[in-house]
Parts: sequence; C-alpha cells; structure tokens
Amino acid sequence: MLAVPTACPFCSCGCGFHLLAREGQLSGVAPSQTHPVSGGQLCARGWSAHEAALWGDRLRQPLLQRDGKQESVSWDEALDYVAVRLKQLLAAGKPVGVLGSARATNEENYLAGKFARVGLRTNNLEFSYYSVCAPLLAGVEEVCGTSAASLRLTDIASSQVILLIEGDLAETHPRAAGSVLRAVENGAHLITIGCRETQLARVSSLHLQTTPGSEDVVINGLLDAIADLQRSRLSVSVGNNACLQDPETGKETAALCQAAEWITRAERAAFLIPASCGQGDQPRKIAAAVATLAAATGHWNNPGSGVLPLLARSNARGACDMAVVHDRLPGYERLEDSRSRQRLENLWGKKLPSAQGWDAETLLQSVSGLVVVADDPPSVVPIGQEAMTALGRLEFLVVLDAFATPTARIAHALLPISSFAETEGTFTNMEGRVQKLRPATNPPGEARHGWQVLAELCVRFDAAASYDSAADVLREIGQAAPQYAGIERHLAADGWSGVLLQNPGNGKSGAHPASTTRAESQTSAERPFLLARDPAFDWGSDPLVSFSPTLSRDYRAQRKAFPSGFVEIGKNDADALALRTGRQVKLTSMDGEAVVPVLVTKDLQPGLLLVPYAFRDRVSNVLRNDSVAAVRIERV
Amino acid sequence: MAFALEKKAVAGWLERLLKLGEVIAPTRSPTGDVLFSNIRSGSDVAWDLPNPLHPPKEFVLPQTDPLVQIKGNGQHHEVEAIHDSRRRFLVNARSCDVKGIAFLSRMHEMEPADASYLRRSNNLTIISVACPTPCPSGFCICTDSGPFLNDSYDAQLTDLGESYLVEVGSAKGEAAVAEGQGLFRRASDDEVSQRKRLEETAKRHFGDETCHFGAAMRRISTGRVPDALWEKMSDWCLECGGCNVICPTCYCFSVKDLARDGAWVRCRLRDSCQYAAFTLEASGHNPRPEKKDRMKRRFFHKVSAQYYTRDGAVGCVGCGRCVQVCLGATHMPAVVAAIRKGSWHE
Repeated sequence: MLAVPTACPFCSCGCGFHLLAREGQLSGVAPSQTHPVSGGQLCARGWSAHEAALWGDRLRQPLLQRDGKQESVSWDEALDYVAVRLKQLLAAGKPVGVLGSARATNEENYLAGKFARVGLRTNNLEFSYYSVCAPLLAGVEEVCGTSAASLRLTDIASSQVILLIEGDLAETHPRAAGSVLRAVENGAHLITIGCRETQLARVSSLHLQTTPGSEDVVINGLLDAIADLQRSRLSVSVGNNACLQDPETGKETAALCQAAEWITRAERAAFLIPASCGQGDQPRKIAAAVATLAAATGHWNNPGSGVLPLLARSNARGACDMAVVHDRLPGYERLEDSRSRQRLENLWGKKLPSAQGWDAETLLQSVSGLVVVADDPPSVVPIGQEAMTALGRLEFLVVLDAFATPTARIAHALLPISSFAETEGTFTNMEGRVQKLRPATNPPGEARHGWQVLAELCVRFDAAASYDSAADVLREIGQAAPQYAGIERHLAADGWSGVLLQNPGNGKSGAHPASTTRAESQTSAERPFLLARDPAFDWGSDPLVSFSPTLSRDYRAQRKAFPSGFVEIGKNDADALALRTGRQVKLTSMDGEAVVPVLVTKDLQPGLLLVPYAFRDRVSNVLRNDSVAAVRIERV
Repeated sequence: MAFALEKKAVAGWLERLLKLGEVIAPTRSPTGDVLFSNIRSGSDVAWDLPNPLHPPKEFVLPQTDPLVQIKGNGQHHEVEAIHDSRRRFLVNARSCDVKGIAFLSRMHEMEPADASYLRRSNNLTIISVACPTPCPSGFCICTDSGPFLNDSYDAQLTDLGESYLVEVGSAKGEAAVAEGQGLFRRASDDEVSQRKRLEETAKRHFGDETCHFGAAMRRISTGRVPDALWEKMSDWCLECGGCNVICPTCYCFSVKDLARDGAWVRCRLRDSCQYAAFTLEASGHNPRPEKKDRMKRRFFHKVSAQYYTRDGAVGCVGCGRCVQVCLGATHMPAVVAAIRKGSWHE
C-alpha cells in the first residue's frame, strides 16, 4: 500500500492527508496529524477525497467533435487542430477567451493566463468562481489594501471573539467550523450574523438575525456601538438602558453593545466573511463593512487576529494570484499597473495586450472561441443555464479536464488531463498557504498533466514554454508574481506544511462605509417576502462530489426528489400559508414569476425564502440579475 | 506458553517472516506521521513509535474493497470472486487494535460469514506489543482491551529491556514463532512475573481520560437519554464521519460497481452512519433525517446492553482515535460523559 501526502482538492481550507493506493489504484484516505491545517482531522469530503478520481467518468483520450460526435484522435492531431481553429478565429478578427479554474493548480492557471495573454493576445481571461467571490475580495481590498487573508486558520481556535457572517460554515468550510467550535469550547464569544439559525448560530453567544443582503446594517450598528464605547470608555453590558435604542433603525441595542464590548476588549478576534448575496453592490459593501469593523478595532492585522475571506473552492486564492482574472496580472496586481506590466513583458518577452478583457459572464456570451481549463462554468457562474446556452453557441470550444462534465461533453476539442490525485502542482488555500499536490497514481489512459498540455498550446502560439516539470513552471511563477518569489525553493525545503505567503496589505483603517439601504424596505404589502439566492457553493455539481458515490448520495437523492428544484421556507410561514414540503407555490417579483415547490425548514426566519444555488435557474425570472428580490407567494 | 526473544534477534525473525508474506508495522512517513505500512527489512521497525492514527483495520477491511469482477460475455455475464489471500504479519500493533480486529472477526464470522473479510483475517498474523504506559488519549482499561491482553492475540510481546517476553495465543502465532527457530528460548519464571508487574504498573497509570461505560449503558439501553440532550450534542458534531473511518470496530459499508476496461468490479466502500443519506430509502424517506437521530443510533450500537449482549463487548476498544479525529467535539468519552451526567458542556 502506497500512502502519498497531498493537499485536499475541495474547499479552500487546504487540509492535508495521505491518498492511499493499492496496485496503482486509489483506495482510500489516511489522515495526517502533522499537517498544520488539518492536524489529523478531516471533513466528510476529505475522508472520501479519493472517490471522484477513482469512480468518476474520467477522460482518457483526446477527442475531436466530428459530425456532432466526439471521436478519439492522437494528441498531436488534437493539439494541431486546436491551434489551427483558434488561429482561424483570430485571423477573422473574432474574439476568443480562456477560462481558468479555482480547482486547477497554480501551474495550470498560470499557463492558462500566459496562453491567453501571450498566445491569444487577449485579456479575455477569467475563472468562473470569480463571478461569485469577486465582490467579497473587492470589499476586503477596499478597506485593507489587499484581499488577502490576515488571519490564519490555526488562529481561529485560540480567538477570544469570533464574528462570523453565517451562511452555513459547518457545511461550506467544516475545518474552519471545527476550529470555531474549539474556540467556543475554550470560552470564546461567537457572534453570528445571518438569516438562519444554523448549527453555529445555535452554539453562538449571540446570534444577530438579519435578512440576506443587509448584514451590513447590523455591522454598521456594531461600528456605531464600538465608536460610542471607545468615546465613553465605559463598560456596558446587556441591560444597560442607555444602550437600548430603536431596533427598527438598526441602531444600537443591548445585544450590539454587548458584542461591541466583546470585540473591543478582545486581544484576539477573528472575522470570517463568506461570499454573500444582496442587490447590486451589497455583497461588496457587506465584506467592506466587516473589514472596517476589524480595522477600526485594531484587529485587522494583529497577531492572532484578522480577517479571513472564506473562499469556497480549493484554489480560488491561487487562481487570483495567477491572475486568471480579466483586469489583473500575476500577483493579483492591477492590469494597468505599469511596473507589473513591465515585469511580465520582460519575463515573457512579449508585449502584453492592453485592451480590457471581459468578466466570465460577458466573456461566455461574447467570444467565438473559448478554452476552458478544468471547469464546468454553467454549474458555477450565477447565470447558470444561460452559460450552457452560450457554450452551445460557440464556434469553437476547447475543454481541458479530467472529468466528463456537461461542458466537456459538448466540447469541439476535448483534451484529457490528470486530476488532483495524479498531478504535480500547487494549490494556494484561502489563508495563503501554498501546498504541493503529489501524484498517487498515473493519470488514466492517455491523459496528460494539465501544465504539459497548456505548455504545448503555448508553444504552438509562439509563447515560450519549455518546462520539464511542474516545478519548472512554479519557478517561473516565482518571477511573475512577487509574493511567490523563490516559492519553488521554499516549498522544496518546507515540504509538508507548505509555504505561507506574506501579506502585502497595509490595513489602512477604513472610513465608516456609507449608510446602506435595508433590503427589508423593499418588501411591501404587495410583495411581503424576500427571496434570496443562497450563496453557498453548490458542491453537488462539482465533479469531485458528483462523481463520488459516498458524497453525491445526498445531492442525487435531493435532485431526484425535487427535479424542478425548491425554495426553502421557515416553518411558521409554511404553517400560516398551509404549505407542506413539496407543495408548489407561485413567486412573483417586479421582474417576473416562477412556480416552484417549497421545502419547509426549521431554521429560517419568517418572511424569507431561500433558493439553493443549485436551483437558481428555477427562479431566474424572479431574481433576474440580482440575488435578492421582494416577492409575493401564493399556493398553486 | 511463553518465550523470550533477545531484542537483537528480532530483525532476523522479521526477515524470515518477510520471506513468507508482507510485514506491516508502524513507520514514520516523510510528513512525520506514523502510518502502518509494509516494511522491506527486519530492521525497519521502529518499536517506540506512537500508535498510528489510521488503524490497521485497513488490512482486513480496506476503505475500497474489491469483492467480485463482473465481465460481459456476449449474452451472459461472468462473475468471478476477487481473492486477496496474501499472507500478512502485522507487527508492533497495540492491544486495542488486536481487540478491534477480534471484534471485526466475530462480526464477520457470524452467519452468513463474510468470505472476503475472513480470507484476509485468516491470513493475518498479529504480533502485538503490550503497552507499558497508556497513550495520551487512550482509555482501553475501560473497554477490557488493554493495556495488556490475555486473549485475542496471535503473539504478544512485552518489552523487558534487553529482550521481549513472547506469549503465543493462537496457532498462527505458534507458526510465526516456529519460523524463528533458534532465536527464541523458553521464558523464565522471573520474566513471566516481570510481565505481570509491568501490567499492574501500566494499569495504575491511567488518568483522567477514562470512559465510564456502565452508567451510560444503563441509560442508553433503557431509553433514558433525553432527546434534547441528543439534539444539543448534535450541534457539536460536524458529520465528518471520521469517527467511523478510524474506529477499529466500525464496519458499515455500501456497495458500488466500478467500471474498468469493459468489466465491473463490485466494491465494498466503507461508509458512515453519521452521513445524512446513509439510511436514505429509494422512496426518498429517511428514517434518521436529523443528526441527533444518527448520533443516537451510533451510540446505541456502540454502548447499549442489547449490543453488549450480542457482541460480548462494547463497540469501542478505548484507542482514543475518535478523540483526535473528531472535527467537532462528540467523541466517545465526551458523549459517554454527557450521557452519564445527563448534560452537555455544563
């Protein structure tokens, strides 16, 4: 039995474990007590991490679409054909683009970026999950000068106060949730802000109910309370009437005063922010408000304290750092930054395209030719099935993936690459820990490493790419992205713990964000309910889950039982409307209507309907381009 | 019958066993972890390593266990059992794991017997080492599974300084000792009594990390654990299933066919009773929809008198692994204590 230490491919906590293999075939997972993030513990996904690579519908041979059917061809034929077709599109002046991925390695993403910018001479470059996490990163960056985490995962357990914008951390980031439980056991005050009474809300010291998209109202209330506290230097506690003000205005209440006091007094405070939903610019404002709170209380970058943006997918941070983002360069530096451009141009020996590229959604709907690396955009981008329609309209779609995803199945050219279990490369977790992936088995069939395939494509487009190993690519990344300088050497030395990137931020204490409108104000007598799209990442559509027999059970069963999706409704509302699970309702917003079954849940507050991300297409008429809308609900 | 084996002769003995089959022992991996893995030479065994977090049940009940191969053959299908009949020696295992595998074997020997499991366990010889001091989170003294054993082992070694006392507990153990012909000698009465003294000393070293099963068993078996307590405890479980994966006595599984080169391999996959869809019916109904229901089920199976009567032991060998892998806080000693006290975290 072979035990190969590697990094977990699921969420961005970046746990470490051993992949077990027998006779060249994956067979299981063994924990690692010495890993700094996981310390011998794993979540359900981690314990079954070997399954998708073993049981999944794996791509084994290069395929080209002929007469509507994908037929296997040789690697040379496939790569040559891809080059010819993309060059034809370029010559015809048609737009082309590249989508990297938050589940691809740094090496793959870096080369995808190089291929787009040097080979295809375009900034039409993005990764699908960026359309979900960009507002979160922008909000933190606006306040802190960087979107990088200033809190380490290992700091959470010893925090004295944890402020959690609660989606459902126990489900999205079980490792982080475990550390939160440990902190609470040790006596920390956990403050949760959210619209449902989740597991962590139930164990919290204080749960502040809010509606989706208006978390910042509570946070701004907290900021006011903290400002008062800092001015008066008085100790307050619940019951102090001076602090009780009108709850309707979101102003200070006893609860806010209590929370303010905990945060102000704490030496070590953790601020955990997931991607949130909300109308228009709200998700960015929510993230900025939390970061402001951390900065205003001196917790932004104090040892043991800080802000942790909770990214869903394993290498979302790495994809940002490798800049598979239309307006960024490696190091997540701005495209217009002339020093960065110069550095890249010197390194790549080519002039960089200067025209602005498109973000993922625009790109999908605007290009004629597209290269997708290790992703299934329709399951990730908010526009869902519209993205599938856009992919279907492309003149030429190239997909590099290990798994037969819906996107891969319609590709004109399909290039099979190794999965995380067979590849060499690195992931960067959400706290900035760069970790090595190590192959436990060989890739199936003729599949090659993603970095090799992308390097071959680069060469066909006159972009220098001569690498003997993934480590060679990483060495070049060290020259392209300043935080990664010398990374290949450091990784070789530090090994199992990975390398923690230095935080480049300045933590300029943010100004008090402008006051915000409350989402409730948009509900009315006519449309008294608020429908929100649950921002929690849909793991059920991710091949790492959907191809795992153990992990996909829940999702498969749910999708079979609710083929037309569902929206969640609280028990009290359901009783008042005489609704039971499975009962169809009609939802009507300003924009349109949809008929969809309900699922009655215990932990949702009154007046709220939540649609799981997986089922967002079912209510796209109602939500349109937003993630929150006021609706009327009727039994049908 | 007890023997003595000089420590300097152990490598030679293991070399002889290596000629007969795989020899598996705790080894230090490049990550610094201790893992059970195949050794290549008799001197590869580091005897003073802590017990690996990943239990040796992997060698009798692997996480992915291929059972039969199904091949299409024109109109018919050919079904062929997959045999793993490799002879294995598990060396430097701890008492808790010996008891764990004995527990699994009792379960798999029950009619209908599980041929795949038994083929592996019958070919496995366990050469365990008694623990002179308890491990940090272990509580084997509460589960009758250590620190020293009086049964269940094939051969049990006790460290006497310069030599090991070797107790033989089965025909497989006898055969393994016979391979070391010329290396073993009869143990003296003094050596045998030294072992007894070491056992008494080891027992006295157990501290706070103990687990009072008796009171918990009475309450669980008679349905006297309030639902509210299960509910409260379930808020401290993150449904990782780690407790099941590493528990030396857990054996629940599901079955799935793996497509390979035009054939299918029917595999047994280790599964967790803590996963929401573990008991999900095809109808869509789930008899244990809430986490508290699943927790209650797990601890009923582990600790109730009903199962104690059937299995002759609680479903726990006190290895303490769940204390280390639990992502939440609902490991065996914590839950048993809460049941006994009737409250959680108070």
